[in-house]
Formats: sequence, structure tokens, C-alpha cells
Amino acid sequence: MSLPTVEIADVHKRFGRTTALDGVGFDAPTGITGLLGPNGAGKTTLLRMLATVLAPDSGSLRLLGWNPAVADERLAIRRRLGYMPQEPGFHQTFTAFEFVDYVAILKEMTDRKARHDEVARVLALVGLEGVMERKIKALSGGMRRRVALAQSLLGDPDLLVLDEPTAGLDPEQRLRFREIVSERASDRTVVLSTHQTEDVAALCPRVVVMLDGVALFDGTPRELTDVASGRVWLAPERSAAARLSWRTPDGSHRNIGEAPAGADLVAPTLEDGYLLLVGDRAFAEEAA
Amino acid sequence: MTAAWHADLQMLSAYADGGLDDVRASSIEAHLLSCETCRDLLAPAVPAATIDRVWQGVVIATVAPHAGIVERVLLRAGVRDDIARLLAATPSLRVSWFLAESLALGFAAFAANVAPGGGADAALFLFLVIAALAPVAGVAAAFGPGLDPTYEIGIAAPMRNERLLLMRTLAVLATSLAIAGLAAIALPGFDRAAIAWLLPSLGLCLTTVTLATWIRPVVAAIVVAMTWLAVAASVTAARSDPVAAFRSGGQVLALALIVISALVLSRRRVVYEGGVAA
Ligand SMILES: Nc1ncnc2c1ncn2[C@@H]1O[C@H](COP(=O)(O)OP(=O)(O)O)[C@@H](O)[C@H]1O
Ligand SMILES: [Mg+2]
Ligand SMILES: [Zn+2]
Repeated sequence: MSLPTVEIADVHKRFGRTTALDGVGFDAPTGITGLLGPNGAGKTTLLRMLATVLAPDSGSLRLLGWNPAVADERLAIRRRLGYMPQEPGFHQTFTAFEFVDYVAILKEMTDRKARHDEVARVLALVGLEGVMERKIKALSGGMRRRVALAQSLLGDPDLLVLDEPTAGLDPEQRLRFREIVSERASDRTVVLSTHQTEDVAALCPRVVVMLDGVALFDGTPRELTDVASGRVWLAPERSAAARLSWRTPDGSHRNIGEAPAGADLVAPTLEDGYLLLVGDRAFAEEAA
Repeated sequence: MTAAWHADLQMLSAYADGGLDDVRASSIEAHLLSCETCRDLLAPAVPAATIDRVWQGVVIATVAPHAGIVERVLLRAGVRDDIARLLAATPSLRVSWFLAESLALGFAAFAANVAPGGGADAALFLFLVIAALAPVAGVAAAFGPGLDPTYEIGIAAPMRNERLLLMRTLAVLATSLAIAGLAAIALPGFDRAAIAWLLPSLGLCLTTVTLATWIRPVVAAIVVAMTWLAVAASVTAARSDPVAAFRSGGQVLALALIVISALVLSRRRVVYEGGVAA
């Protein structure tokens, strides 16, 4: 494993009375790191920090070896950064091309010819070469997400921060997205958030589970799956010992929790591990 | 794209001198856009200033058909294409915005002309207030979270936000001031009072931009506008003079506001770069 390119240590952030981050800390190496967690876990807040948009109240960050709290170093990070916010806004009157060109100008690409080539390149990368001249307001939701993804890819950044990039994409577009991102990840760092366990299973060699502003888990998808090993079983009925139980299409119940003796144990999935982790925490809170 | 033909040097210099007819010139322009060979050929044939002028023409011809009206006007005015695009994304640099300002000012000027006695005074006061506050609203809406849809992407990009902010502020300010200046000509007995809003307006704008390093720009604008409106209205009422707030006392106050704001802003401007605790 390579040296960490993103180092997060004991980061806290409050918005008024809400604690969004409560001492989160982990390192991410080159390659793709997926942040998994329910709504309100603090994923967006953390990613905004990685995008140098937000500063922590306390704790420290190091991105690509630089400290974003220092002006010069922050600029150095921004020169190598691509960022797709969770809810990217658009200038509706711009065409897709004009919008991405606008961001390219903000990214200091001053040479017009080179800039226009780069804009066309990233738009083609996300499969939008056919609608470059269309106004943003005339594009579908999925197309707009791809425009947002395209702008983050400008200049082939070393650090790519993507906040729920697969939300609102159909299965085919999601597949294409995985292809684009994984192609880029061999020697670059990608940190993305999602609440879809399939994204993580398919894409991320490394996963961090966030809940209530902390990192509950930090490891490989295999290790997250193993959290549930020996704790998933099938039964004709909902089992009393199960934390979670649902009816599968074949009619049997899939139960997760502390399996009773003699249970029909089955191989866990990453989702089982995730649900157990997040559920555990939720149960502990209820008891407290 | 590989070109089927290339322009010869003679044709290129004729083009650069503006000596080609429209049809041949536009066919050369289209070719130049895709052909590096001919661009390189064109470069030594003409002085750099001419190339810039020519390229500006090419940009207008190729970019403008798709661009919005603000961007086209800026390009026509000779603004560099990247700057034109940055400005075109300013939320308050819109035709509708300036139309609204023109209408409000035009109405006030009209009322000042036709209303009898006290009504005319009130209309003059209204005119000055609108002229002073319109740029404040425009500047507040020129940047910031919630108004600039690409605010976060902009913060995360390396271009200095300070620069973007300054550029947009100046563009909005210049346009607002030009509109108010034109409308002022329509005031009855057009005199010094007609531009009395200028310094207060600049002071209020700068105060808003400074205050916006602590609070949201729109909130800052509302606080500044309300405070100033209360002061101006009470001075006007106390003196029963429609332009009382805009006489020398008000002008000196505006100047003081400009100086103080500029000083504070120079210390606070780092906040506009984002990623720092305010
Ligand atoms: N700008 C903000 N102002 C106030 N509260 C916020 C802000 N951003 C996030 N929060 C709160 O912080 C918590 C974490 O939110 P967020 O980081 O968006 O989580 P996630 O992306 O995992 O859903 C939530 O309770 C949210 O309401
Ligand atoms: Mg989020
Ligand atoms: Zn040629």
C-alpha cells in the first residue's frame, strides 16, 4: 500500500448546535476510498473539507502532503483537485460546454484552444459529446450529474472528491461511471461518498463507514463483509434473535444478528456487514 | 479534422488587414479554428495586436451564436472571452436585473417631474434611495453561497475568489451606476443633487462586501440597506428636505464609510478564499 495522500486526524465540526463531525480520523492512500453511511452521518461535511471549501473547528487535515489551513498550500491543493459537490448548481442559461468551460477558466486554464480541447475531452469522457451545445436547463437530471462529473475531471486531478456521484444515475450510467473512475484511480486518489453498498463492492478497494460524525469502520470491502460472517441465516419465519429480517423473493426470511444454534448460516454480503455495524451502533444508542 | 486545403500567405495577410470579403473571411476563420498550420502561418505575417483583434472576431463569430446576451455584449465591447464568461455567470448581471433598475428609476424620475409639491420631493428622495441601493443589491447578488450556483466549485478551484468577486462587483457597479446616471438626467432641474447618490452608493456597496465576510451577502445587504434607509429617512424628515441625507454631511459620512470598509476588508479578504474558519 502506498503512502497516504489524504490524512484526517480527530476532525471536529459543529454547525450551531448540530455536531456534524465528532472526531473523525482515517488515512486514504492512492486509489478509491468509499465513504459509506446513512444520511446525516457527516459524509458531505468531511468531503467539503477535503475539497478545501470548509475548515474544521479542530483536528488536522493533510491533502496530497499539504496543509489546507495554510494559504499557499491550499492553493497548491486546489491546483490538483477535482470536486463534485452533492448538489452541484448550474448556471442554467449556459450550455453544457459553456458551463464546463466556465469551471475550466476558474481552474486557471488560460489558453483558449487548450482549454476548449480539455472541455471537449471531459464531456466526451462522460458520454455527453452529443449534447455539448444544449442549454443545461434542457438536460435531464442524469445528464446534469454527468456534466458535474465532467467538470471535476478537468485537468486530470490528483485528488478527486465526489459526493454521491452515482445518485440519480440509471444502472447503465452507473456502470459507465465506475469505468471512468476506476480507470483514473491507479495512481490518483479518489474519495467518494455513497449510500449504495453496490458502489463500494464494485469500485472501492477501501471503505470507511461513517455514522454520527465518526469513522466506525475502516478497511477493505472483504473485511466489512466479514463483520457479518456467522451472523446471517435463512429461516422460514422472521427469527426472534434477528436484528433485521426481510422476506426474500424465494419466500424464506433472511435474518441478520446473533444466529441461534443450528441456524442455516449463509455467506454474508457487504450490505449485511454494513447494516450490522450501523445497526449495532443505533441499538447501543437506544439502550443508553 | 484534417483540412483539404490551406490558406496561402497572401490570403492570410489580406484577411488580417481586413481586405477580404465576408464570405472568404468567414471561410478562413472557420479553417483557422481547426488548422494549426495556418494559424502558425498567420502569426508572423501580422503584428500581435492585429492577431488579437482578429481572434476576437473569430471568438465572437464562433462562441457568440450560442452565448447569452450579456456575454455577447461583453465580447463586442472587447472584453477577453474568459473574462466575459466569468462575468456572464454573475447572477445579478442579467438583462432582467437592469431592466428592473431602469424601470424603478425611470418611474421615480417621472414622478418627480409630474407630481405636485410634496409628492415631487418624495419622488426625488425615492429616486436617490433607489439609485444608491440598486448597486448594493446587485453586488450582494453577484457572489456567495445560495446565489452563485457554482459557489462551492468556485471555492475549490485555484482562481482567487477575491479576483472573481472584484471583477463581478465592478461590472455590476459600473452598469448600475451608468443606468442611474442616465436616469438622473431625466430629473427635474438636473443639478448636483442628481448624482448625490454616487458616493453613498459606493460606501454602502463596500460596507456590504466587508460585512459579507461575517454573514451571508444577502443578509449583509439587507442590514446595510435597512440601517441606511432608517438614517436617511429620519434625517430627511427632521430637516423636511428631500435630499438632506445626501448633502455634505452625508457625503463625508459616505467617504468615511468607504475608508473604514476598505481598511477592514483588506484584513478580512482572506475569508473570501474559503476553507478558512471565518
Ligand atoms: N451547512 C450546514 N448547516 C447546518 N447544519 C449542517 C450543515 N451541513 C451539515 N449539517 C448537519 O450536519 C450533519 C451531517 O450532515 P452531512 O455532512 O450532510 O451528512 P451526510 O452527507 O452524511 O448526509 C447533519 O445533521 C446535517 O444536518
Ligand atoms: Mg451528503
Ligand atoms: Zn490550413
